[in-house]
Amino acid sequence: MQRSTTRQQYGDEAMTDALADGDSPDLDSCVRIGSIVSSNSHLDYVAEVYKERDCDRPPELHEREFGQPVFIKKTVNGTEHAVMGVIYDTQLVDPDQGRTGPRLAQDDQAQFTPGYIEERTTLAGVALLGTAEIAEDGAIQEPTHQMPRWTLEVEDTVFHCPDQVTVSFHTVDDQIQLAYMDRLLDIAGDLGSEVIVALIDRLRGMLPEDDPNQRVLDVVEQNVQWQAREQRGMV
Amino acid sequence: MADRSDVVGTVAGPGDDPNEFVFVTPSDKSIKTGEFITYTVPVEDEPRSVFARVTNRELIRGLPEGFLADPEVGPETVAATLGVPTDDTELYRLTATVIGYYDTNMTTFANPRQLPDPGTPLSIAPHQQLETVLPNLGCETDSTDVTTLDGVAHIGWLLNRPAEATNLHIPIEEFASTHLAILASTGSGKSYTASVLIEEMMRPSSRASLLVFDPHGEYDTLAEMQGEEAFQGADGYEPSIEYYDPERLRVRISELEIGDVMAILDNPSNRMQERLSTAWRAMQRQESRTWGIDELIAEMERIYGDDDASVGALEWRLRRSIERNDLFHPEDNVPLGEIVDPGQCTVLQMDTLDRWDQQLITTVLLRRMYRERLDDVRDRDSDIEHPIFALFEEGHRFAPASGDAPSLGIMRTITSEGRKFGFGLGIISQRPSKIDQDVLSQCGTQISMQIQNPTDQDAIKNSVEAAGEDVLRELPGLTPGQAVVSGDAMNTPALIQVRRRHTEHGAGSRPVIEEWREAYEERQREPTGSEAADFGEGDSTGVQSLD
Ligand SMILES: Nc1ncnc2c1ncn2[C@@H]1O[C@H](COP(=O)(O)OP(=O)(O)OP(=O)(O)O)[C@@H](O)[C@H]1O
Ligand SMILES: [Mg+2]
Repeated sequence: MQRSTTRQQYGDEAMTDALADGDSPDLDSCVRIGSIVSSNSHLDYVAEVYKERDCDRPPELHEREFGQPVFIKKTVNGTEHAVMGVIYDTQLVDPDQGRTGPRLAQDDQAQFTPGYIEERTTLAGVALLGTAEIAEDGAIQEPTHQMPRWTLEVEDTVFHCPDQVTVSFHTVDDQIQLAYMDRLLDIAGDLGSEVIVALIDRLRGMLPEDDPNQRVLDVVEQNVQWQAREQRGMV
Repeated sequence: MADRSDVVGTVAGPGDDPNEFVFVTPSDKSIKTGEFITYTVPVEDEPRSVFARVTNRELIRGLPEGFLADPEVGPETVAATLGVPTDDTELYRLTATVIGYYDTNMTTFANPRQLPDPGTPLSIAPHQQLETVLPNLGCETDSTDVTTLDGVAHIGWLLNRPAEATNLHIPIEEFASTHLAILASTGSGKSYTASVLIEEMMRPSSRASLLVFDPHGEYDTLAEMQGEEAFQGADGYEPSIEYYDPERLRVRISELEIGDVMAILDNPSNRMQERLSTAWRAMQRQESRTWGIDELIAEMERIYGDDDASVGALEWRLRRSIERNDLFHPEDNVPLGEIVDPGQCTVLQMDTLDRWDQQLITTVLLRRMYRERLDDVRDRDSDIEHPIFALFEEGHRFAPASGDAPSLGIMRTITSEGRKFGFGLGIISQRPSKIDQDVLSQCGTQISMQIQNPTDQDAIKNSVEAAGEDVLRELPGLTPGQAVVSGDAMNTPALIQVRRRHTEHGAGSRPVIEEWREAYEERQREPTGSEAADFGEGDSTGVQSLD
């Protein structure tokens, strides 16, 4: 992840909990987690997490935790889409860090660097998983785990993805799907297996206990865990 | 090769052995080990189809085994969850051994001495081509309609192919003249396969002269061939099936050799042996061939005096072992002209004879027949003026590795010399390791079926050089009716399913449960059964209501 050099202020939009009103979550009223500041690749973005000053209702810690599904809205050819992603890494930035201790010559330049981060902030790595259409009623439909073809923009808002949407995105013909898995493992690197396990954990909690997909998730998790252990030379 | 529609795989490179190459196929081209594949190479500027046999198959790309962690979750479900396509992911790496191209001059396989280049497309060998080149039929092209050939036995079809798709017709002349071995554990289909061959040999196109030595009475149903249209010739030919039960089996005493007599006598002393040998030889020098024990004893008394103790003891033994045994007779002899004839299959039913008698009658018959064949070939008067083929159930009984049978000598002679005299043997056995190695290794054609016992597998390996390791590996896994055919009748061994018999099979295991129940019901019926005669006709008795 790279450090961000810009940031945007958000103030007056109302934030409500997405699932507060029951059935179909209103994708517009989902908690805003932050905004895109840069990218490392087509599928790997960096978002700066909102703070008190940036909006009315900044995300709580548990709403932007590791493994949290997120989405970014995109209108393509007149149809509103959700580009789905997951927080797979975070990083703290403290601009003061470099200023303590003996100073070197470059210190003088600091004040001339435009857009230099002036305050402490949290950056979140967002890996893209796939896309879905946003229907009239605000629900998502036609989820696909194919690689998203569209690019996000700097300043795009990253929304907290409600459980119901997460489940919809992961369900194709009643069959649980994590078809993005190999791509995600690739992007997330060392934390790849952990982010997948975190996603699986969430899905498990969202599905009924006797759902046949529970056992499928178990097998997938076992495989991921085992592969990770193998890669780390444990077995 | 513009058309690749029949291509099933592509050569990847050479294998471990000089004749081996490796190729890759996708999963939808399911190729089993043992399958025959071909590719084209130029031999002296002529494109030739080279045949190869698939010997090994391993998955090189497929779903990870981790997907199988939960037996209640199918691997394809896990794959679907992860978006892994399951239809055509699998790739197989197969090993094949080059058999060669069919040399139409030599009418057998020739080694191209060069492996196919990487990238060479491979096809499944076409049915008709395999039917032509696998058996040793001497065809002059590599694709002939073999059903039109005379003197072939349709024994079955390639096991790896659908039923009756690639049929195997083996040349009767080959296995009938250079001898045949049918080897398998009990119940694997030896008698069944032998019967299939007998059916084929008795067809109008072959009209063989066959003799079956049947110690278990397993060939009773062959008679069904008589009256069957399939076996009738346009000229009115019909096979004749003759059964010889022990009542009709006779050995003329003068046909026995001194060694045979010694073998049946009870523990003769050295002096007795010496006296008997002298007298026996004297009798054999006589003009008459119809002498009995009386004449023999008279001869001994003439030489040694009539109060010789050893002669007295011999007389007692000879009368007990020979004279009182119905099998031996001073004059009667199984008439050879009756038991062997073209278009005739004679079954010698020996199931009620004890082992010694079985061996003796076999010994004497074989000797006589061999003599006649020798005479015929040497243009002397002969009772048997055509080639013959004799089939032995329990072959290890007549040619035992232990050497403990009077028939062994003549069996060895016939298997090593018989082909020159038109005398072929077929040895059937469930214990190959108990057959005399000389006899077994002279059997030019082998039909090996399921064999578990390692000693017996070794015996086959040692004596059956034509069948390679890769084919013999199949033996333990075969089921009844499946066989490996190898040797003189084949250009290369093949794994086959033996066809069904036209006649009923008479040698299956007994229906034990059925017989118990019948016997029980019989028993139940007995007490009232004896009084049944007293009941009025049409009366329903309590016994019947039991049923
Ligand atoms: N080619 C075949 N097609 C169908 N069934 C077969 C075939 N070969 C064998 N069988 C079945 O297997 C059974 C056993 O065969 P068979 O009597 O020939 O065995 P065997 O090897 O001679 O046994 P044994 O050593 O006891 O004499 C048969 O009764 C038949 O049901
Ligand atoms: Mg049998």
